Amino acid sequence: MLELIQQLTNGLAVGGIYALIALGYTMVYGVLKLINFAHGELFTLGSYLGMSLLVSFALAGRLSPPLAVLVIIVLIIGLSALSGFLLERVAYRPLRQSNRLAAVVSALGASIFLQNAIMLIYGPNYQVYPSQIRLTIAVSLWGLNIPMMRILLFAASVMLMIALYLFINKTKTGTSIRAVATDQGAAKLMGIDVNRVISLVFMIGPGLGGAAGMLLGLYYGQIRYDMGTLYGLKAFTAAIIGGIGNIPGAMLGGILLGVAEAIGAAYISPAWKDAFAFLVLIIILIFRPTGLLGERAADKI
Amino acid sequence: MKKLFFFCLALLMGSLSAQAAEIKIGLMAPLTGAYASEGEDMRRVVEFMAEELNKAGGINGAQIRLVIQDDGSDARTAALAAQRLVTDGVAAVIGTYGSAVTEASQNIYNRNGILQVATGSTAIRLSEKSFKLFFRTCPRDDEQGLVAVNTLLRMGYKDVAILHDNTAYAVGLAEETRDGLLKDGKTNLVFYDALQPNERDYNAILTRLRGTNPEVIFYTGYYPEAGMLLRQMREMGWQIPMLGGDAQNNTDLVKIAGVEAASGFYFVSPPMPDDLDSQSAKNFMKAYQAKYNATPRSIWSVIAGDAFSVIVEALRVTGADAQKMGAYLRDNLKDFDGLTGKISFNAKGDRVGDLYRLYRVDDKGNFVLQPK
Repeated sequence: MLELIQQLTNGLAVGGIYALIALGYTMVYGVLKLINFAHGELFTLGSYLGMSLLVSFALAGRLSPPLAVLVIIVLIIGLSALSGFLLERVAYRPLRQSNRLAAVVSALGASIFLQNAIMLIYGPNYQVYPSQIRLTIAVSLWGLNIPMMRILLFAASVMLMIALYLFINKTKTGTSIRAVATDQGAAKLMGIDVNRVISLVFMIGPGLGGAAGMLLGLYYGQIRYDMGTLYGLKAFTAAIIGGIGNIPGAMLGGILLGVAEAIGAAYISPAWKDAFAFLVLIIILIFRPTGLLGERAADKI
Repeated sequence: MKKLFFFCLALLMGSLSAQAAEIKIGLMAPLTGAYASEGEDMRRVVEFMAEELNKAGGINGAQIRLVIQDDGSDARTAALAAQRLVTDGVAAVIGTYGSAVTEASQNIYNRNGILQVATGSTAIRLSEKSFKLFFRTCPRDDEQGLVAVNTLLRMGYKDVAILHDNTAYAVGLAEETRDGLLKDGKTNLVFYDALQPNERDYNAILTRLRGTNPEVIFYTGYYPEAGMLLRQMREMGWQIPMLGGDAQNNTDLVKIAGVEAASGFYFVSPPMPDDLDSQSAKNFMKAYQAKYNATPRSIWSVIAGDAFSVIVEALRVTGADAQKMGAYLRDNLKDFDGLTGKISFNAKGDRVGDLYRLYRVDDKGNFVLQPK
């Protein structure tokens, strides 16, 4: 029983990361019906930028480590949002009126470009987050042994998700995003600036993705230029499990996927971890083709 | 007709080079690609040794000329490189690093009757093809398994967990070690499974491992995963010793795990260039340092130097006939004094003798050679 709970906490922490990335996929799909294949690379970029900032600022000793990490996460959200904004301007907006396939190819191109750019700048080797920043203490509760970093990671991702949920559902801008997602034409007639909303979505998604990248770097300490592919794929899976286009669905899907993987790795075989994740996807799609919380079928990519 | 023409041309060129009293030796190394730093060191070491040899008068008065080809760590590039070396009429070839890359060139050299001495290719199957002209100065993967078994037995652990990563190399080492341990009969194998490489989260498998209560973990994969395992074990507050294979001989392991988690970690590996203890190796390192202002970054380039030495020795004794050279290396060369220790070859062309040593990571994150 203890081992099961221990495995659950593993799964929750990873699931939080998946959920944060999945939000980027699902929001863009919600307003544009486009899969932003470059999203995984924006996540990697956030992770690398976070490392650069940590090495250059936090270690210089101007700020105490916890405060520095907080400031840098905010900075990373800003920088990732900016890169998402630029990506949309360069790679997607010029193709808005052309057919959907052109946008998908452009997304794949942007993904390859970004991944190689990161490799050329930072090199193909594993990069390591400064270890002085990371907390190595563990919390012992009722015989459980949970690393402090894991708790902080999960707390941070939940906080970001709550903030997003409140923003989407309680503010006027959030309402306009939902309106554009429901019907672009009608939203335009109601006086909503659709281009502005789309830009905003391309800032929020990558902002959260970049934050996830930095959290991942802090949690595992080791990053690599091509990790965006696998995490992107897993998060995309999570978005589909939850019902693509649906924000709470992405959160639920991410957490579910993380937990399913951890349990599968623990009780079946660790080598089958990825297979298990996709098996969950297949089973859910067989019984609910639109995903757990999805209202409409994902009829086009 | 065309073939005949080239044949005559080759004969002509052969006789020309003989007149100039010059012997060509080929070097095939990964000068570009993922392992370019290994290839670069191999080139430097072999060039340096050839220079020294020529200064000292060459082989029986004949000067050595190196013909260097890049294999790009890629099988197709290697096949082309091998063709070029064959056309160039080399007496023997040194190389190369990757096992799959060497494999792509083996047939070409064998068909053309050229002696090949591999430098970093440890896969077992390479010497199981009964090619009479294939040798290697590097150890074979099964020897590492043997050393791992002996190390584990000597450390006196009863409950051992073995973990690999499903790559051909790691599975081979894991199987060798498992079979060796079980043969002994005193050891319990409490865990034997694979993890998923290129991941970051090994908490799930570590939690499961912990449930089996091993006294020691032997991980046969590569350093990035080993580093993550060490770090996550520490974060779980679980402290048991861990042993690794030679793919973990990389200082990035300490960076990934953090010095605290890495200290106390053991791995078996051929000795590092700085730890070679023979006098000839020490002199060589000094001279190399003086010329390039650096030491070779890994053992494999020094092993390439040993490949050069045995080829030169064979040329000195038998002349440039590949069959005679091969027979000499296999049957007559015993305990040749190489940089990495004594060199002899068995009937398959594999190096005889144990090259592997045990290393331990100390409190400052340095790799320290353990006494035998």
